[in-house]
Amino acid sequence: MLERAGVPTVSICTDAFVVPARAMADVYGAPEFEFVTIPHPIASLSPPQIEANVRPVISEVVRILAGG
Amino acid sequence: MDGAPAGLPVIDVDAVRRVLEEYAERGWTDGLPVMPVTESYLAEFLEQTSRGPDEVLLSMPHLNRACTVRVAAINAAMAGCRPEYFPVVLAAWSALEAEGYVTRGIWQSTTGTAPMLLVNGPIREQLGLNSKGNMFGSGFRANATIGRAIRLTAINAFGLRPRELDQATQGNPAKYTACIAENEEESPWPPFHVEHGFDASESTVTAMTMRSVVHIEARHTTVPEQLGRDLADTVRRTGALIHETISACIALGPEHASLFAGAGWTKDDVRRFVYEHAVNSREALAAVGKDAVSGKTRWRLSSEHPDATADTAAEQGSGNVVSVLNSEQAVQIVVAGAQNAGVSAVIETFGPRGGPPATAAVESASA
Repeated sequence: MLERAGVPTVSICTDAFVVPARAMADVYGAPEFEFVTIPHPIASLSPPQIEANVRPVISEVVRILAGG
Repeated sequence: MDGAPAGLPVIDVDAVRRVLEEYAERGWTDGLPVMPVTESYLAEFLEQTSRGPDEVLLSMPHLNRACTVRVAAINAAMAGCRPEYFPVVLAAWSALEAEGYVTRGIWQSTTGTAPMLLVNGPIREQLGLNSKGNMFGSGFRANATIGRAIRLTAINAFGLRPRELDQATQGNPAKYTACIAENEEESPWPPFHVEHGFDASESTVTAMTMRSVVHIEARHTTVPEQLGRDLADTVRRTGALIHETISACIALGPEHASLFAGAGWTKDDVRRFVYEHAVNSREALAAVGKDAVSGKTRWRLSSEHPDATADTAAEQGSGNVVSVLNSEQAVQIVVAGAQNAGVSAVIETFGPRGGPPATAAVESASA
């Protein structure tokens, strides 16, 4: 929705939510919608653990933001 | 078909099996067999209401999907409802829309809630809705199929299949069906719908978003304060706390309701007592890491978490006492079950915390 409003956006979800994320993309008529996944969980991790999970996907986030 | 017992109808079992397998293979079921629906059978349902078949009952804009009267009728028929149950199903949809959580995506949530329906008024007797023994359990067609009609519609109209758009971590057994009636006849107080402004001669459906039904054993006491504390102890359990506060509907067994009423307590007295006693100490919350709330979501977390901020109780300087309820109105009370033991239940809900319950009138047959 933000993308359709002209705001470059990347959705990030944990790997536990890949199926529903794909299903929602289908609902919105964007089956090719790209999103980035990180390992589950998030809620019970410390900030350093979260950072460790996010670092490997930053280049992917930048690629999608840049429309690559 | 030679050898069929005299007087029994002769049917082609293979044809029935093929139809049931077809429905299952298309993903149109909750896992149990469904009733096949023909246009003529559907028409019997649509005759039960003055509402048009294309009228939209409920929309989920975030899913770009809506449910019409016709689709609700198909699913009610598939669920095994008799046509005359359909006005109750329609009222359930009105109540669910008024309740508000459904249209905000709660049926997709990891929490895994189920809709819990409460029926009041004369329609209970007319349809044989169970309000007495085993009202949460099996055995009564109207209860079983009216609740199931909502689930099948969630699956078929909104596409809320488990592990797809329904992300429930565990779900709960009420996701097959959950519809009870109030035992108005054995309640010492005015019926639930009368308490909320309806006439006793009207029939209503109240919709709740439930997480759990927690059982209370209290056969031992005749002291209302003891019973009240037993109920409050279940309401306050820390495991129920995801948000800062909770809401609950207490389904009092008739024996417990009589105990309170015999001591001169009104429903409001019970509500007030539970509200005042459904509290945790700051230490008890700290022991489970729920002694603060997130500054972003207001969900409970440890005061040591980087997002932690003081909860409302701390802001208000209420000392060591942290209420799990934000108001007396966060507790609803209904009387249901058999008059045979000191047993009640707490229905844990995501519900109104200060507002009225979501209750809708059932369209009368003459409408």
